[in-house]
Amino acid sequence: MKNLRRASQILFFLLFIYLFVQTEYKGRNELGLPVRLFLDFDPLVALSSLLASHAVRAIFLLSLVTVALTAVLGRFFCGWVCPLGTIHTLVGRFRMRALKPGRNEGRFPRLRPVKYFVLVFVLVAAVFGWNAAGYLDPISLTIRSLAIGYNPAINKMVRSFFEFAYALDIPRVSPAVDGLYSAMVGTVLAFEQPIFRQTLLIASLFTVILGLNLLAPRFWCRYLCPLGALLGLVGARQIGARVANDASKCISCRKCIVACQGDATPFPSGRWASRECLVCWNCRDVCPADAISIRPTTARTGDGNVDLERRWLLASGAGAILAVPVLASGVQRKRTDPLLIRPPGALPERDFLRRCVKCGECMKVCLTNGLHPTFLEAGLEGLWTPVLVPRLGYCEYNCNLCSQVCPTGAIRPVSVEEKHEIRIGLAFFDTNRCIPYAFGRNCIVCEEHCPTPEKAIVFVEEEALDGDGNAFILKKPVVNPDLCIGCGVCEAKCPVLDMPAVRVSAINESRSERSRLFLNI
Amino acid sequence: MIDRRRFILTLAAGAAGMLVSKGRGRASAAPRTDKPSIATPPPKHELAVVHGTNPDLAVRKAVELVGGMPSFVSRGDVVLVKPNIGWDRTPEQAATTNPAVVAALVAMALEAGAKKVIVADNTCNDARRSYVRSGIGEAAKAAGADVVHMEDRHFVKTNLKGEVLKDWLCYRGALDADKIINVPIAKHHGLSRVTLSMKNLMGVVGGSRNLLHQRLAESVVDLAAYFRPQLTVLDAVRILKANGPQGGSMKDVERLDTVAASADPVRIDAFGVTLFGIEPADFRPISLGEKRGLGTGEFRGAGFVEVNVG
Repeated sequence: MKNLRRASQILFFLLFIYLFVQTEYKGRNELGLPVRLFLDFDPLVALSSLLASHAVRAIFLLSLVTVALTAVLGRFFCGWVCPLGTIHTLVGRFRMRALKPGRNEGRFPRLRPVKYFVLVFVLVAAVFGWNAAGYLDPISLTIRSLAIGYNPAINKMVRSFFEFAYALDIPRVSPAVDGLYSAMVGTVLAFEQPIFRQTLLIASLFTVILGLNLLAPRFWCRYLCPLGALLGLVGARQIGARVANDASKCISCRKCIVACQGDATPFPSGRWASRECLVCWNCRDVCPADAISIRPTTARTGDGNVDLERRWLLASGAGAILAVPVLASGVQRKRTDPLLIRPPGALPERDFLRRCVKCGECMKVCLTNGLHPTFLEAGLEGLWTPVLVPRLGYCEYNCNLCSQVCPTGAIRPVSVEEKHEIRIGLAFFDTNRCIPYAFGRNCIVCEEHCPTPEKAIVFVEEEALDGDGNAFILKKPVVNPDLCIGCGVCEAKCPVLDMPAVRVSAINESRSERSRLFLNI
Repeated sequence: MIDRRRFILTLAAGAAGMLVSKGRGRASAAPRTDKPSIATPPPKHELAVVHGTNPDLAVRKAVELVGGMPSFVSRGDVVLVKPNIGWDRTPEQAATTNPAVVAALVAMALEAGAKKVIVADNTCNDARRSYVRSGIGEAAKAAGADVVHMEDRHFVKTNLKGEVLKDWLCYRGALDADKIINVPIAKHHGLSRVTLSMKNLMGVVGGSRNLLHQRLAESVVDLAAYFRPQLTVLDAVRILKANGPQGGSMKDVERLDTVAASADPVRIDAFGVTLFGIEPADFRPISLGEKRGLGTGEFRGAGFVEVNVG
């Protein structure tokens, strides 16, 4: 029977990866695919955003489907659907094989409550306005870690191989390699090599989480995952698939305990922990005595669920209550960071932070690879939220992809026309570095790229002499702040590569009243 | 009788031709396989300007007037058709070459026996969006072209032997092509006032090409001298008269329903600047191009023809 479960895991995992790869511009303004599907069905993302922002969104209803099914079936999501769970199943197999019943069972039963405390912490923090769920929510965590951490590395690896083969310039082989490579680019590979800040950190954390499987198979799912905890609580009284251990047949071999993916102790009879059960069906398949059955029943089969000690629950909640004001005392609350350029459609900063779950979808989809995870620009409370780094990639004038993929409305959906009117910052010339100002030579690259129909960068023309003493018209660029939307293409394309001579900062952004720079805007 | 002087000159010209071919990295010895037509060829013009509301017909007429596609493209050629796909703009906004013009040239090159027609540009905005929104990607593909993106590995360092451009990364597709058909759109530009055929060749180089603006006229003439497109077709179906080269506002667009064709990039640009009320003599790339022997700025001279079609 577990093959059925495996098939489901593989199917959902492939769907997840497919949607992940499709989270990129594919030739149409509208993505057309529900690339954030897994996030939409994730009740932790919905609940934490709801608690933190007090905004009810219709899309959150989808996650109620997961909740309803879990109430009947238990943590089937963990065992059958969750892509991170599937990765853990795979990686955990190596550990699972080494386990021996009775001697080395690879379990830490006393850690089972931890995930509930994590959940309480996250939800209480959300109530007080800090949306921390995304750091640990398995879907957010996985998308972010793959997009920022693993995907750039995988792309680099494959690209290096192809570029090497192409550079060898072998007749027939290299053109064939080139064709295959070109076909892969934009389909399975990213259109351009993704480059992100903090790749190393985010990839390392994910690797550590995968490495926990060395301690116990699916360590993350068993002891840490807040979504698992939430679903465990919802599905504790499941009636759809209870594990029943027939004591008259049981030979006490403990094989089921070791095979259990969730540390749910199918043995001894009456000690089964329904909240921990991932509905993997391993216990039933491994039992040599046919003592375990999984069937719909309302009969109680005993309850081995661990106590959630009240003092720890209180401590978790109290920890959150203390943490929130500490985080909210960051200097960013007094003055925003000049480099905190949010994507167009981002809500005002407070509302934005209450909703953003740091899933990284916007960064993955960004056409120019300009959206990056923040480090401290938004304070610790805003770690890994999206920031536009114009030097690395600008905001493409006619693109609104980031607003299409945001699962929580932190970046609200904006049409391309509406987006044209949104200011995300303002460009400033550094006349000490700008070529016409500093060196008396023409350049005009910024003006050429400025995308507003009436250009936000215009020239002040003056007569000048070149090196040979010939007169020419020197064009000094200036910004018209009434037209500049802060897209950053001028900074991205400025030939002064190391520290561009035109730079965008967040001042004058539409979403913030405090960022106003002029009386008349 | 051939006197000694003419004999030496012929030899020198041949050697120079071979050198140029070698520099371009093309199969220099490939003989033309197209047979001369038996009927009297139509009178060949040097520069044809055609007005007509159907861009496809206008392009065909213009190319026919300057000798017909078979006089530029030979059977078995690999042809690079190089439009301006620089921006994420629609054809109506006139920042990119009209897709119907590009498609017509692709079809004609294939009809003339080209083995392969490549359509590509090194874009300023995101390449995917620019190829799609300009309409060129779809139109050129439908006409039978290989529409490809220029990727980093496709650029090779090449000595352009120019006055200002020496070693630059150049698009391999342009270096390897047997023939280049340059298809610029006529539009306003903040620095040079107008961007036309010679400047359009900035789309076949990579690297820090933004720097070319610092000596734009010399740079584009260097590019024209090195790449020497066999044929240039200027798209003035719609021209962008202000806020170029990117535009975006329809009030800056003027519909002229005009295309021009010539093998002479200087001459066609000399015609192009007049669309913007500029005298050819006042446009530096033209005088420089003349000086370098790339063509003539007297576009109305012998061989000029202007007709209406449709």
